Amino acid sequence: MYLTVFLLFSFLFILPDSTYAYLDPGTGSYITQLMIGFIAGGLYLLKVYWQKIVSIFRILFRKPRMTDEKKKTNKRN
Amino acid sequence: MRKRKLIRETSSFRDPSGFVFYLGNTIYRQVNISYKNDYLYFKNSGLYKKLVVEKLLIPFREVSDFKYENSEAFVILKTENIPFISYPYEWCFEQLKDAALCTLQIQRLCLEASVSLKDASAFNIQFLKGRPIMIDILSFERYKEGSPWVAYLQFCQQFLGPLLLMSKVDSRLGTLSGIYLDGIPLDFTSRLLPKYTFLNFPILAHIHLHSHNQTKYGRNPSQVRLKRKALTKNMLLGIIDNLENLIQSIKYSDDPTEWGKYSNMMNYTKAAFENKKKIVKSYLVRQKPKNVWDLGANTGEFSRIAASLGIATISLDSDHSAVNNNYLQVKQNGEMNILPLLMDLANPTTDLGWAHKERKSLLSRGPSDLAMALALVHHLCISKNIPFSMIASYLAKICKSLIIEFVPKEDSKVQILLRSRKDIFPWYNQETFEVEFSKYFRIVKRNPIGNNSLRIVYLMERKK
Repeated sequence: MYLTVFLLFSFLFILPDSTYAYLDPGTGSYITQLMIGFIAGGLYLLKVYWQKIVSIFRILFRKPRMTDEKKKTNKRN
Repeated sequence: MRKRKLIRETSSFRDPSGFVFYLGNTIYRQVNISYKNDYLYFKNSGLYKKLVVEKLLIPFREVSDFKYENSEAFVILKTENIPFISYPYEWCFEQLKDAALCTLQIQRLCLEASVSLKDASAFNIQFLKGRPIMIDILSFERYKEGSPWVAYLQFCQQFLGPLLLMSKVDSRLGTLSGIYLDGIPLDFTSRLLPKYTFLNFPILAHIHLHSHNQTKYGRNPSQVRLKRKALTKNMLLGIIDNLENLIQSIKYSDDPTEWGKYSNMMNYTKAAFENKKKIVKSYLVRQKPKNVWDLGANTGEFSRIAASLGIATISLDSDHSAVNNNYLQVKQNGEMNILPLLMDLANPTTDLGWAHKERKSLLSRGPSDLAMALALVHHLCISKNIPFSMIASYLAKICKSLIIEFVPKEDSKVQILLRSRKDIFPWYNQETFEVEFSKYFRIVKRNPIGNNSLRIVYLMERKK
């Protein structure tokens, strides 16, 4: 929501002009990618690292699996 | 060395990297010398193999049995044939959504391999064996650190915009893709979307802000000084991830339409319906067509009879909900022989694009071996005022044999169509139907579906 408000303020109050016949399609698209990229790239990094952290915790705290030999020993007991 | 004439694909002229051509029914693609380095990098980087294994890209192999007609050729590739070329404006919402996700998945894998899609056209995606697949082998270029995704605008105009309009405004807006072949202009999408979409960060960013920047900086780009290498690969992966999440979250606004649940609103008994299925199956077994076009297929009940016999079936209907439901069934059951498409038979897809030759009409993608027109003729005659003679003459152009159902005036469905209008159809009877169709077709079989229904199913073959 904060991101939305930030983006809204960054451009919403400048009303778009009328369309022109000669337009460079690249620059506006590049600038948009730069603007979104800072936010989306940051979120993506967080997502990747969060997934890594979660997987490390999963490995650390997972219940040890019983091997077949242990199971057999337990049965004997 | 072959001497047969090569026919160049009429839509393959925009990309200087190469072009598509045909030799008989086989499709080839010429890779030009100008694309040599990108092609070799793509082929040898392991990315090609990965995309083929993931069934995201159509496989190809290099062939050497051609004499190159011009000095531009570096190599000729042979690819698998696509049985039926379909276009984005013929896809339902879920098909366009899957095609968009397919494109993004390819771009993500590309970036990881330091390659980028230079072209994200929806026309580069086709449906093969029930799944979307990329068919343009020349769309890959080496990624240069710091450079933007050049196809980002194209992706937003050809995929994201139409999906949002269909989801947030009306599914019928998908047909805009047939008017704007390069994609719906972003300022138009931005204007049509409801105001509340400004509060959704991804929509605000990819559509509204993007549209704004297009107008602002596109007009006078010389004023803008861009810092080189400001856009990192991680930022691009973030944009792809953001687009994927947005598209996955977009849902089809499921308004219950007339045909969405057609099979629940039949006016004849289950026994008659089962008998109709049996008759249709026996006709299909007799004719052994290689492909079938099911015209007015609804959710594809009868298309599935043809598909179950291993016949490549195109399931055409004008109702978006019905086509969407049909495609969801294809996905759910992993059906490989059915391609549901949006098509209004009273206004079928026409030749479009440059010189009317880029995108083909339904007619020029035919004729089909067999067409099915079940419970359709009364709609064309009574709702659209099209006489039998014109229906017969058109059907004779798009199919070699025909399974067609005649629904008599006494049928309650015809009575509903006539309820609020004057009956100006004194000719609408079985006798005239047979006389008019016999001018173009030979009636091979005629079976009433029985069980208190007056409907009759015919098998016809086109006269030579």
